Amino acid sequence: MEMKRKWGMVIDLDKCTGCGACALACAQENNMPIFEDDSDFPKRVVFLDLMKVTNDRDAKYPDVDVCYIPKMCQQCEGNDPKNPRPPCVSVCPVVATDVGDDGVVSQVWSRCIGCRYCQASCPYDARTFNWWKPRYESSFKNSLNPDVSVASRGTVVKCQFCTHIWKRERDKAVARGELDINAVTYTPACVAACPTSAMLFGDLNDPKSELNQMLKREKGRKFRLVHTIDQKSEKRQEELKRIKNYPNPKVYYLSSKAWIKEMMKFK
Amino acid sequence: MKKLERKDFLKIGGGAIAGGLSGYVFSGAPFQSLQWLVELTQDQYAPPGGKEVYLSAVYPGTRSECNLSVRMIGDRAVKIDTANSGGPFIQNALQLLYHPERIDAPLKRISGKGTVKHSAFEKVGWDAALNDIASRMNGLVSGGKGSLVAGISKEPGISAALLDRLIRSAGSRNGYYEPTLHTLSSAALGGYIDYDFMNSDFILSFGARLLEGWGDPCYMNNAFVEWKKRGGRLVHADAVRTRTGSMADQWLSIKPGTELFLALGIANYLYRAKGKTTGSADWAAVVNEYPADKVAQITGLTVKKIEDTAEAFSRARNPIAVPGRGGMEVSSSSAEIMAVHTLNTMVGTRVAGLRGIRGLGEPVLSAEVRGSLIKAKKFTGLDDFIKNGNFEMLFVNEADPVYRSAYGDALAGKMEKSFVVAIMPLLNDTALYADYIFPSIIFFEKDIGTVKAPFHPYMKSRNSADMIIELARRVEVIKGNFPWSGYRELAGGTGGAAAGAGYLNYNAKILKDEIASITKRLKPSEEFPLSFVPVELTFVGDGEGMAYPYVLKTIDDKTFSRGKLWVRINRDTARRYGVSEGERIDIESPRGKLGSVRALLTDTVPPDTIAIPMGFGHKAYTKYAKNKGVNPKGIMANDIDPLTGTANWWLTRVKIS
Amino acid sequence: MGTFIDKIKEEFNGYSKSVKIALYIMFFLTAGFIVFGIQILFWGLGYTDMSNNYPFGQWIIGDLGLVALGGGAFSFGFILYIFRNDKLAPIINSTVLLGFLCYLFTFVYLVFDIGQPLRAWFGYTYPNWGPHLMPASMLTEVVWCLTLYFMILCVELIPVVLKHKVLDAIPALRYIGHYLHRIMWIFAAAGTFLSIFHQGSLGGGMWGVMYAKPEWFRPDFFYLAIVAAIAGGTSFMALCAYMAGKVMKREIVPAGTFYTIAKISGIMMLAYLVFRIYDLIVRAMVYIPAFDRKFINLLSPYYGWLYFLELILAVIAIVMLLVKRYREQERFFLTGVASGTLAITVSKLSVVLNGSAVTNFPWKQFYAYNPTIQEWFIMLGGLSIMVLIYMWCAKYLPLFPHAAKHQAAEADTPASH
Repeated sequence: MEMKRKWGMVIDLDKCTGCGACALACAQENNMPIFEDDSDFPKRVVFLDLMKVTNDRDAKYPDVDVCYIPKMCQQCEGNDPKNPRPPCVSVCPVVATDVGDDGVVSQVWSRCIGCRYCQASCPYDARTFNWWKPRYESSFKNSLNPDVSVASRGTVVKCQFCTHIWKRERDKAVARGELDINAVTYTPACVAACPTSAMLFGDLNDPKSELNQMLKREKGRKFRLVHTIDQKSEKRQEELKRIKNYPNPKVYYLSSKAWIKEMMKFK
Repeated sequence: MKKLERKDFLKIGGGAIAGGLSGYVFSGAPFQSLQWLVELTQDQYAPPGGKEVYLSAVYPGTRSECNLSVRMIGDRAVKIDTANSGGPFIQNALQLLYHPERIDAPLKRISGKGTVKHSAFEKVGWDAALNDIASRMNGLVSGGKGSLVAGISKEPGISAALLDRLIRSAGSRNGYYEPTLHTLSSAALGGYIDYDFMNSDFILSFGARLLEGWGDPCYMNNAFVEWKKRGGRLVHADAVRTRTGSMADQWLSIKPGTELFLALGIANYLYRAKGKTTGSADWAAVVNEYPADKVAQITGLTVKKIEDTAEAFSRARNPIAVPGRGGMEVSSSSAEIMAVHTLNTMVGTRVAGLRGIRGLGEPVLSAEVRGSLIKAKKFTGLDDFIKNGNFEMLFVNEADPVYRSAYGDALAGKMEKSFVVAIMPLLNDTALYADYIFPSIIFFEKDIGTVKAPFHPYMKSRNSADMIIELARRVEVIKGNFPWSGYRELAGGTGGAAAGAGYLNYNAKILKDEIASITKRLKPSEEFPLSFVPVELTFVGDGEGMAYPYVLKTIDDKTFSRGKLWVRINRDTARRYGVSEGERIDIESPRGKLGSVRALLTDTVPPDTIAIPMGFGHKAYTKYAKNKGVNPKGIMANDIDPLTGTANWWLTRVKIS
Repeated sequence: MGTFIDKIKEEFNGYSKSVKIALYIMFFLTAGFIVFGIQILFWGLGYTDMSNNYPFGQWIIGDLGLVALGGGAFSFGFILYIFRNDKLAPIINSTVLLGFLCYLFTFVYLVFDIGQPLRAWFGYTYPNWGPHLMPASMLTEVVWCLTLYFMILCVELIPVVLKHKVLDAIPALRYIGHYLHRIMWIFAAAGTFLSIFHQGSLGGGMWGVMYAKPEWFRPDFFYLAIVAAIAGGTSFMALCAYMAGKVMKREIVPAGTFYTIAKISGIMMLAYLVFRIYDLIVRAMVYIPAFDRKFINLLSPYYGWLYFLELILAVIAIVMLLVKRYREQERFFLTGVASGTLAITVSKLSVVLNGSAVTNFPWKQFYAYNPTIQEWFIMLGGLSIMVLIYMWCAKYLPLFPHAAKHQAAEADTPASH
């Protein structure tokens, strides 16, 4: 049976209030380690980083605006959908990370030797490393999710679009007698938690999916993080793709604000 | 059989060993041993499995209830599923449920106040504790000192109403609330405003950061989704461009603290250009003094913007003007609340109605107690009481006034000298000065409406309402007024009776006094040239979120990093003062100096203004919140509002060094 | 035991004051290396200043530097055994030993640097080989190649070790040593073959394939690193031999050898400079614009200047080493080889430091890296141990056959140095 789905996400920044529910839900679902002082940001272990972005670079008061961008692993694809080559997968010396047939880039922390090469090659700062031993103070252990293994110190961990929830749904479907792998749908923790429905998750391969319909509708508002090749002409895109591989991520963002799109460009 | 010679033996032996070794190596055994060694040395905890079950629960908001389901593995709750109806604080529920620092039994202080160390307390039984407190109360009441009993509740509700009743039954008027929009509005207007955001098509917010934890976030988020669908318009007036200002259809960049004048300016336009009437003649006279050009000067907006906003407000079908500056924590003067609400009454909006907080009725008092009550001095609100009042016994019901009030230090001083009973699930800053601390249950452990509590109360914790009822029944004079057996009997709640429009009493004197007071504060002095205003992170709120490690994980590194809080300062202003990005600065107000903070240079803040994130600087409240950053309330403005009795701390004059 | 300690004390006191001070410092660093090494291995990498912004830090710089400079071993091996340039014979033992130490300590630093040292063997059992002949991951290539080359270095080192007085007395071992020396060319050839690959992959390939990072990506980096290794490695080996001579206070390598090395190194450094300028140009004009970025904006204020420093050092090295008048004067020769070594070291510094300083998002500012005491001690301690081992070997093994010959010759003729 062939996996026909390709999971993608759309995040509507016009609806995101920066409340952090997605980040909190992700932390809860994925057993994020607990530290008394988590303010050492460069060593912080989170899968979903709620980035706060302003256009202080480009404007002055009162034209400076603020927005929050939930950023998780963008599940890059590379130039050729038939031969996905995310920047992080080919560099792992021990195949601890791999692209699944559903497009999700997996990370197996029990295979990881902690060389951090994938972390260096990620263009989105999406991968985090367990610099310290992950700990859970006493009773916090009670709310650990058994579907997600607790990582060791010295391994790279990252968002995997809550693949374990897919597995959970798959098991339920099979128990019901539904054996078709493509009949399984699921919602990652972050998308489920968003109180303003700013996040949408679905199948990029299915033209009738809500996700694809939204992407088609929102051509004007859609963009991808720092992926400025999207704004170039078809011809130029072809030229550039011959020079090198581009991440081609599966997470799209929507915004009606021009300043946000300007901040995606380096100046 | 050939005789086995030594050579052969050696050959066979050697071969056996060589063969054995290579077999061992190539079987992968050494690699597996290494793998085993890896796992052993990392000894990562494997959470136990179990049967998966989903339980229903309800999160009680102030405006609506949030339905959620909890995923259980065996008897462990591992995830909250909110189906898009929740907010960040619901996601934190499991961290509260399983917090290692949850108080598990009534605590009695055995050492000096000012600490919540483990050794400062001993665990006692409920009976012993309640009896002790009851006898003290009996003593006070029979000694004629009933008016020296006081109570502070977090917000109106069943247990707060019971506490009020307890206080009153003892002959004291000192039942107070921490300021919320509900309580501030009730003091200013005689009732709280029930805003129907869902059905509004034009929302004019005066500093109310509606999308960042204001009011009931569950409800506000749903309302926001509705606005977007129906094309509702949000106009947000705020000095700092917070996320609400960015998401609003229009952001009015007013100078800090000038919300009241903007309201007057719009009222002025509605009166002059639209013939809408307002309040009494005195009130109208004041409104008349603030035409658009004068307001433009004060607020920094253009005349056109003010008039256009007023015009749009008047043309909307269901407009709402919202006071209540802030997010989870609000600070508005009564004058401001009145001034903003007049806009609603002027246009006769149908989506902002006044409601009263229904209490439990007047308790039956003995003659002696009634005498005491009549003599008791009445303070207008919590801060007025803290500053000017006295107490010998204080009950703190799930509140944290030592942290949240601008008079927190003064309160702490008074608490040190009196007998304090605090009710809370986690030891917070107020517990530092409590004699008894009673563990209360969290919302997961309460029956709410028809939904049964999915979890049993943690150890010996109890519903605060039940505690108060039980205590009351042990006090001779009071017990008659508490016929209920438990909180479930009072499940009807205490909110929501509609109050007529005639209830509104727009007090022109209050308005004039407040205008004078604000005008003074708006003027930069030589010594204190900068404005100091608060901002909030939605998931930290008023500080409540800081006890949760996952909240700590979500705070960005330009708000709090490596143990230091960052304040936001305008880039030009920073340049003028020679402050560079990340530089350590000190902030000082007429009230005192704040601990060291770092400067974030951003133009989301207007010139000559510093914005400080709230919720940091706890001195207790679990190891996760303790000593992270600074709490500015100690240096913030603390003029007490005449109607709300609360300090208006929104705008403070400061200097930096 | 007592006599052993006395012997060590006597030997220690035999050194000059400055050498003694240097030894004290190195022992101190070594002690720190052991203490902090244990801390890092048992309690994790949180004690370093590496972070999610700076995944590669001081030890990787150390690895890159050691492997590149250790590339002198294969270069000299190739020139001596394949090109048959006997001018290099006097220095080859020292070179092989240095190469061995460099690669040994590369592995030592790597053990500290990876988060799960106990899983290091995964590189051999679960390599990311992909569908083609060349592995999909550059690090897989590095792991395998370094391992194989290290084994070759061990074999190359055996004849040197066997020359120790005690071992040389055993006829069987002397025979093995002599025989190995005769087939050394096979190892040299294999070593060169392997070195081309791992110098390219570790020094440049692993950085050049990261197609999502503007500061690192370019396909030619693989080849540039090979040239860098030969240029820097040859200078480094000469520098070490020269320093050893100064410490031992005799002529351990004939001047002619040094001049030959200077010429080789100088030419390779010139090739490197040309290639490097090409690299910078092609990056600025083709690859970096493909990211919609500009070369000038990728120069972080903390580390961008390293590019210029590297070019300046390369030019100094070229001038000092290629101009006959200079290379034949000791102090200019020293300047030349030192500059050559430093130029390559600085290039490795700029790869790692400037590479990670560049942010992925336009609203973030350049990152900086301040190694912690753990990183310093492990790095410097490792280098100290290398120096100590080299010193010990220089004393007890005939690393420098010329020195022995020269000493014997001196004994016959009146001293002239």
